[in-house]
Amino acid sequence: MADLAQLRDAIINGNAKAAAAVVDAAIAEGAEPMALIHGYMIPAMDEVGRRFECEEYFVPELLLSARAMKAALAPLRPLLTSSGVPPAGKVLIGTVKGDLHDIGKNLVSSLLEGGGFEVVDLGSDVSPRKFVEAAQSTGADIIALSALLTVTMPSMKYTIEALKEVGLRDKVKVIIGGAPVTQQYADQIGADGYSENATLAVALARRLMSGARQATA
Amino acid sequence: MRFKLLSCEVFYREMCASIARSPHQVDVEFVSKGLHDLGGRAMRKALQEKIDGVSGSYDAILLGYALCGNGLGGIEARGLPLVIARAHDCIGLLMGSRERYAEFFEANPGTYFRSTGWLERGKTVHQLPAGTNAGNASLDDLIERYGEENGRYLFEEFTRYQQQYRHLTYIESGLEADSSFEQEARSEASARGWEFSKIRGSLTLFQQLVNGEWPEKDFLVIPPGGRIAASHDGHIVRLEPLERRGD
Repeated sequence: MADLAQLRDAIINGNAKAAAAVVDAAIAEGAEPMALIHGYMIPAMDEVGRRFECEEYFVPELLLSARAMKAALAPLRPLLTSSGVPPAGKVLIGTVKGDLHDIGKNLVSSLLEGGGFEVVDLGSDVSPRKFVEAAQSTGADIIALSALLTVTMPSMKYTIEALKEVGLRDKVKVIIGGAPVTQQYADQIGADGYSENATLAVALARRLMSGARQATA
Repeated sequence: MRFKLLSCEVFYREMCASIARSPHQVDVEFVSKGLHDLGGRAMRKALQEKIDGVSGSYDAILLGYALCGNGLGGIEARGLPLVIARAHDCIGLLMGSRERYAEFFEANPGTYFRSTGWLERGKTVHQLPAGTNAGNASLDDLIERYGEENGRYLFEEFTRYQQQYRHLTYIESGLEADSSFEQEARSEASARGWEFSKIRGSLTLFQQLVNGEWPEKDFLVIPPGGRIAASHDGHIVRLEPLERRGD
């Protein structure tokens, strides 16, 4: 029997190889993917988030746990797809035009993937036009914008304006983050959400998705 | 008049030269550049403590800072007025105008900047806030802390953005005694495989700050009972009144 407690520990401790190995063994034994995800993997990431909130964990630990979560999810993905389980939502993510700082964006991207989202990462220095084109071609539910510099923050506003121009603004949720970004700025430019750190960004994306589903139900 | 200047040490030479020429008495305290690396909230807290700790009879407290990643957003003027130049960060101050910086930024994406302060007072800018200084750790440090495989992964994550830079621009203040700073910047550019360029900076904003010349276009004066806020427009910073109720 695969030791599933080890799966939880491997994710909490950022051990990608061990996490993937336990999942492989569990799949071979016929384990139910959703039972692994909800029983062990998501609780492990919740614990990682808790440790981050109370400053037991910092960005390096978060990156390693997110990587272990991704490694554990990889062998499960084809099984989920074949059994018709949809992703939590599709997120388009990028650092805005002029900004090359990508650590925060990569971390949010990893955590969203770990949280069951399908993530399309456009990289850094992404122009409003590129965001719009990608939103059109991917049909993303959420667009996540990152900036580390106050110099580049206006690109967030321009991206929202560009979405309005092509009539896409009501079809996607826009969330923003990055060290100098604030809730006040999110309100000012009409973003749908702001998160002050990467773990809260996943909760924010989930909240927006459930709001969107209720609205269309 | 008598001013207290709290300045980031990255402007050490520019400030000292400007203070020497000021008609006013300026008492200066240089603050560690490390404050910048703490991230917005911790930087704000540390700087506010410095401001609150200023004692003596002054007409104003001058801030040798810019908005600095919003690290100055929320800084409050208590007993004395605060004065700050309208600039996003130190590069805008060193270039002498935020318009010039904006034009340069637009025309030269992916540029790393160097000045005397950045060369002699710690070269790195951290992307990560307090407690996460692994962002600046060496590969060996990371391997020692997180093991071979995870250490290498983290190092790659933390340094990848540097590969996207293509230029290094040295901002010359004109105060340099010789070409050693420029040479150091050139070697750094060549070691990283970046194109080197040099531009002439300006002492104008530093001089105006310590001279008590604060045109509204380029400076914000925060009277007691106000705080600094990011304006997210061409003015960069604005005055925000403190709430009457405790917040």
